[in-house]
Amino acid sequence: MLALPLHDLPTRSASGFLIRYVVPRTGPPQLVGPLDRKALFSTLAVGDVIIGVGHGDPARFSGYRDQVLIDLSSIPDVQGKVVVLISCQTARQLGPALINAGADSYIGFLEDLVWVMDADSAATPWSDKFAAPAMMPIVDCVNTILDGKVAADAFVVLTTELLGNAAVEEDELIASCLRFNARNASLLGNPMARVKARPKVAFPLPPPPLFPYLA
Amino acid sequence: MSKEFEELKEALRKPATPEAMREAAQRFREYERVDAALGQRSRPTLVSLGLGKAYPTAVDFRDIPRELETNPAFFEQMRKIVGGD
Repeated sequence: MLALPLHDLPTRSASGFLIRYVVPRTGPPQLVGPLDRKALFSTLAVGDVIIGVGHGDPARFSGYRDQVLIDLSSIPDVQGKVVVLISCQTARQLGPALINAGADSYIGFLEDLVWVMDADSAATPWSDKFAAPAMMPIVDCVNTILDGKVAADAFVVLTTELLGNAAVEEDELIASCLRFNARNASLLGNPMARVKARPKVAFPLPPPPLFPYLA
Repeated sequence: MSKEFEELKEALRKPATPEAMREAAQRFREYERVDAALGQRSRPTLVSLGLGKAYPTAVDFRDIPRELETNPAFFEQMRKIVGGD
């Protein structure tokens, strides 16, 4: 399952990269934009992976317009699944709770997930050159999981690419953000967890239409 | 590392007093002025995926000095990102 809200600049930036580079490899359910809501999320338990973008805190992960999708008192069916939460601080409490509820593996962040984006690229977030050094490592991490490789390999891809991009980044604030995210990335549960491999897609596909961004 | 960014880092390592917050805001203005002069940039914005934070999850670079100067929670967040780097 993919949960990809698009209601503000950070969700639009992160979801935009996944819509461009991950969604074509996955089947439904794909909760994009206004569809990313609790009523749908809670009833859909199919699949072996949950990939979610959304605002979060140690105990909550949210969807469209910040409605809470997962919290410590309402964990969905995650039995045997690999969960990737592209969100803030969920590795502190929610990640361990997901593992306790039966998730095979979890990748997320202990602190805020921070990056620099170009607000003028909100209509085509995947073309944002400021955000790419932070978002492409996340895309590559998720695609490593969808390649059928183990969670530990995906986590190494995430942290190695973040640090590699920081090493060559000319903008010092962007580089600091990349190192901060790498320091706070977290893998919990079974590092050998893997999901069914999905077919690779020959990129680039035509960019998808997005809901308009109304600042 | 540029002199301006090194000075910003130093300012962000101080406790969040009004004086330190003012200094960090000034250091960021200087860093941003030099950084913007290095290349063409349209509207760089610092974003995060925090929920219920005491600071905005999207801050235009032009507004970062104001947030640093007036919002202790944002100062602390920048201290973690830049000062702790």
